[in-house]
Amino acid sequence: MAAITREILTHYLDDALSEAETSQVEQALRQSESLRRLLRVVMQERDRGEHSLGAIWRRERLSCPSREQLGSYLLRAVDDDLLDYIEFHLRTIGCPFCQANLADLQTLQQEPAPQTQTRRRKFFESSAGYLHIGREGKSTGR
Amino acid sequence: MSSESDRLLVRQIRQGDSRAWTTLIGRYEGRLLAFVDRRLHDRAASEDVVQETFIGFLNSLPNFDDQRELQTYLFTIASHKLTDHLRRMGRHPMHLVSDSKSDILNQQSDHHQAASSLVRSQERRDLEADALTQALTGLIGGWRQRGDYLRLKVMELLFVKGWPNRDVAAFLSISEQQVANYRFAAIKKVSEQVRDAGLPADIFPELQQPGP
Repeated sequence: MAAITREILTHYLDDALSEAETSQVEQALRQSESLRRLLRVVMQERDRGEHSLGAIWRRERLSCPSREQLGSYLLRAVDDDLLDYIEFHLRTIGCPFCQANLADLQTLQQEPAPQTQTRRRKFFESSAGYLHIGREGKSTGR
Repeated sequence: MSSESDRLLVRQIRQGDSRAWTTLIGRYEGRLLAFVDRRLHDRAASEDVVQETFIGFLNSLPNFDDQRELQTYLFTIASHKLTDHLRRMGRHPMHLVSDSKSDILNQQSDHHQAASSLVRSQERRDLEADALTQALTGLIGGWRQRGDYLRLKVMELLFVKGWPNRDVAAFLSISEQQVANYRFAAIKKVSEQVRDAGLPADIFPELQQPGP
């Protein structure tokens, strides 16, 4: 297992690690006081507003392949260099956003359409009442 | 940057177009659900978080800059909603460190401490992050255009994973000197662009590195 770096802890705090890495970090945190100490330091830095280049890179998805490229990757319809890079980005970097996109593309091929439609209708019905906000303006909802 | 199709969709949603809203949900709900469920492993709870994400998006729509990529923006809201959910469930990382006896509140951290001990305004921080994002986007775009994936891998391992030069070199079967050269060249270029934007490069600790 690779060492858990400051950058990995930053992604952990952002909930932006792959499933496997999240488990590794949580297990290591339970066992290591020095790692917990480092996590607290990282939290304090964030509270002070300090930047992390790695966090910005990941959050802004600066090197993520496009959804179309991921679709082509699934079909093995990309050139060797790009295919190699996408595998690296998914597996070694463990990008959770691209893993989610890939999982979604795979699900689209398998999930029954009525199930998807029901879920989408639920999302629409629970949120459509807020559509007026775009016209009227309101403060951030994040 | 958002695609033209996404920008059009956002314009229509801003006018209250419910069909456009249906289209946006259909386009993005699957990947958001996969993103949240990877962490929660609870389909019903994950759907609730995605639902909150869509509501959060509509609430923040007046402030959304459509030069930003829509997908990235939605993932960012989903991350916030996910963190809120984990906090409510007592599963947030804070819970793993809150019971420790060690008090480090007054301890000095390492080199990162020197970068800034001032709490800056959110507006200022956004400006700084935007400048860095622009610089890195240009750099990464250039590497991609040239098919220089080795350089991209090196920088991603160094900055996103935080690996030391020697581990990156060993993993990619190249020399440590080559890694150091790549790092130096990238940092030099990004630092110049951040300074050109009228900002001090030392606000980013990772840009404080020795020569190759």
